[in-house]
Amino acid sequence: MTITSILRLVGWRLLAGVGVLWGAATLTFLVLHFTPGDPAQAIVGGENAAPTPEVIAQVTAEYGLDQPWYLQYLDHLWRIVRGDLGTSYRLHTPVTQAIGEQAAATVELALAAAVIGLALALAVAVATAKRRRWIRGLAAGSELVVASTPTFWLGIVLLTVFSFGLRLFPATGSHGLASLVLPALALALPIAGVLGHVLREALEEVLDEPFIVSARTRGLADLTVRLRHALRHALMPLVTMTGYWVGALLGGAVITETLFTRQGIGRLLISAVNAKDLPVVLGVVLLSAWIYVLVNLVVDLLYLAIDPRLRPVAGVRPVAKGVS
Amino acid sequence: MPRKPLLAVALIASLMSPMACGTSSGTGATGGTTTGGAPKAGGTLVLGENGDEPACLDPHQLVTTNTTVVDRPIFDSLLWQDATGKLKPWLAESWKISPDGLTYTFKLRQGVKFHDGSVWNAEALKVNLEHMRDPATKSPLAAAYIAPYKDAKVVDDQTLEVHLTSPYSAFLNVLAQSYLAMISPKQIKEAPGTTCEHPIGSGPFVFDKWTKGQSITYRKNPDYAWGPPGAAHTGPARLDGLEIRFLGEDATRYNALLSGEVNVIDNTPPSNVQDVKANQDLGFTTIDRPGHPFSIWRNTGRAPFGDLKVRQALTLAVDRKAIIDSVSFGQWKLATGFITPSTPDYAGGLDGRITYDPAKANQLLDEAGWTTKGADGIRVKNGKRLTAIALDTGVNPQNTQILVQTQAAAAKVGIEIKIQNVTPQVSADRTAAGDFDLSVGIWTTNTADVLWIQYASDNITTAKRRGQNVTRLADPALDGLLEQARKATGDAERAEFYNQAQARLIDLAPAIPLYNRPSLVSFQKQVHGLDWDHAYGAVTFYDTWLG
Repeated sequence: MTITSILRLVGWRLLAGVGVLWGAATLTFLVLHFTPGDPAQAIVGGENAAPTPEVIAQVTAEYGLDQPWYLQYLDHLWRIVRGDLGTSYRLHTPVTQAIGEQAAATVELALAAAVIGLALALAVAVATAKRRRWIRGLAAGSELVVASTPTFWLGIVLLTVFSFGLRLFPATGSHGLASLVLPALALALPIAGVLGHVLREALEEVLDEPFIVSARTRGLADLTVRLRHALRHALMPLVTMTGYWVGALLGGAVITETLFTRQGIGRLLISAVNAKDLPVVLGVVLLSAWIYVLVNLVVDLLYLAIDPRLRPVAGVRPVAKGVS
Repeated sequence: MPRKPLLAVALIASLMSPMACGTSSGTGATGGTTTGGAPKAGGTLVLGENGDEPACLDPHQLVTTNTTVVDRPIFDSLLWQDATGKLKPWLAESWKISPDGLTYTFKLRQGVKFHDGSVWNAEALKVNLEHMRDPATKSPLAAAYIAPYKDAKVVDDQTLEVHLTSPYSAFLNVLAQSYLAMISPKQIKEAPGTTCEHPIGSGPFVFDKWTKGQSITYRKNPDYAWGPPGAAHTGPARLDGLEIRFLGEDATRYNALLSGEVNVIDNTPPSNVQDVKANQDLGFTTIDRPGHPFSIWRNTGRAPFGDLKVRQALTLAVDRKAIIDSVSFGQWKLATGFITPSTPDYAGGLDGRITYDPAKANQLLDEAGWTTKGADGIRVKNGKRLTAIALDTGVNPQNTQILVQTQAAAAKVGIEIKIQNVTPQVSADRTAAGDFDLSVGIWTTNTADVLWIQYASDNITTAKRRGQNVTRLADPALDGLLEQARKATGDAERAEFYNQAQARLIDLAPAIPLYNRPSLVSFQKQVHGLDWDHAYGAVTFYDTWLG
């Protein structure tokens, strides 16, 4: 595998990423532009407001709302190309600042949830794969339950038990570690359920492979076999599902942040959509799309690192990637 | 103004409402911010507010319901409205109104300083009035409230002469509202772009930090010596600091109070008020907001509610008290007219004029020609069914319940109400365009001029201007009364015109007034001296202290 071929892969992926961003920006613009609602009215405070005609005229001129939609669209695109995400209709601050203020809290929540989710999935899968029937049944059952529980309901149960009931954790805010526990769990559990299930299936398949039998015959302890020999092979499907759990983290953050009254991009997005705040919605959508593009690129590179069979050989087309 | 909760929040709230936990028990004293010994200085009070976080903290750029709660700590106003509705001097020491009602001369208080050190004087007041009106401020409310403002002349350092284009008797009232509070003139002139993010006023608390999506913190203004008249003390606030957290979920907010995460909550869920009152560790206090009560608007611009008899019939068909009690768990007071009793110039003599009488409703519908009934009991005239379209945004479960119960009551007298679920924006646009028969809303303000805002024919939306007369009522007699009340310079004269206007509105029945919206505030017993801004009916913290 040459550096050039890797660079070529990265280059093509990034170029495709630009296409994805353009598509996302276009779709968002069209949806928001053509859903009913007067943007000038939304900018000055929605249906509650009593703006004077002079104020409406000012807003219409300032934001170019009197332009035909395609000119507004081109204007938005041109600004994005120049790296300017514009000014929030609702907050009257630059979109980059609005997102920047909220990003850290969401990253903190998503990282915490990702770590908890992965750790839980790994622990449960490694501990229960190929065990007695009732153990596997219990694990699979619990995973199915948490995976199919809506995040907001899980959050309410966690709040009711651990915050309102036992008073172990605060119910609201993003002040320190204690306030991170419940929201991170609410976000992590459904992900852990899905990933744990997939990982156990993969582990069970791998544990039947001849090289495991040979490892065992060398007298290795069961846990060593599972962790050192089986896990690496079983990780492939998990990597394939990266897109899923990154999506689950981003989508779940919207609900979790609202439920636990945390700062974050999710809440920013909800208020922006409700207020028809096009620049902020565009900004968040572009950011999410960009994260997807990057994550997919990293996943593809990870495949190459984990499974040498996938690495392109000079003159030979790469093998289609897939689950081992 | 109507509250506009987030769609998702409301969805979640409605889904979790059966789970709202009322864990408190025992019996105890009810309500009232009692005094508990000598006031103590110090400490930081945490208030749990609902999820309606402002997008900006510049009062002139705001329209949200929570403006007074979040901005009153930072900003003072020209006048203060007391509990009886009287306007008292605050940043204005005195004022004089010319006989033609066009010139207001304000004599200003001396020694008032803003948080940035700039001085309160005639120039400062002028700069603020200009800032409210400047289209660049994009004011959603303040500009409209001072629409007759023409210009101002600085007479001397402490005297400003304000000229209006037309007489406007509500001018002083609205100047007492937090939406028209006074911002540092230095900030307006030198850094107008910072008023949203870093508000500078002259109030008892200095803005400290705004963690968007979460909370606002304030610290005491040590130089404060111009508290509102009628306050329990003078000098700086007793609290060292204040934090307002936006807790959108009703159950979360209530439980945060129970667990002590917050000391006070605003917007106590009505379903929890009984629990709060029964809880020995908690206190409860409430006030009804001034302005137009929460109402069902009816489009008088088209059939079927273009017909006065059909409007009157629907009002008579609805048992308003039963609906309000069931929706609010008995925590809302039935509206008695077209403004609430806490509004100056409320006509108390009209109480009891809006009644529940289904038999009379049937009789009026018969008189209106809707005599035959279809198989489903809905009345028919000339082959047309007696059908009304109601718009419901679904963002407020209580509004939906009100519409559904009204629908049931209407069906009993043969009126069919079809509830259409639409987004808030579609609702606003269709209401403005007159493409509806029934919708719901409220308008909070401290003057009976709200009747001009809601019912003057000048305020019917046109292609040029979106007005608030959603019922599209156009009654020359009412227009005349409201116009004369605006022009009146004497208190008794103005009150008389508003009295007649309120009586006229009960006869015209453009809306069904339902309930006076209260502020429902619950607090831990250690909290003393909570007070109200009566110009909006919002909780304030100048006198507040922690025991």
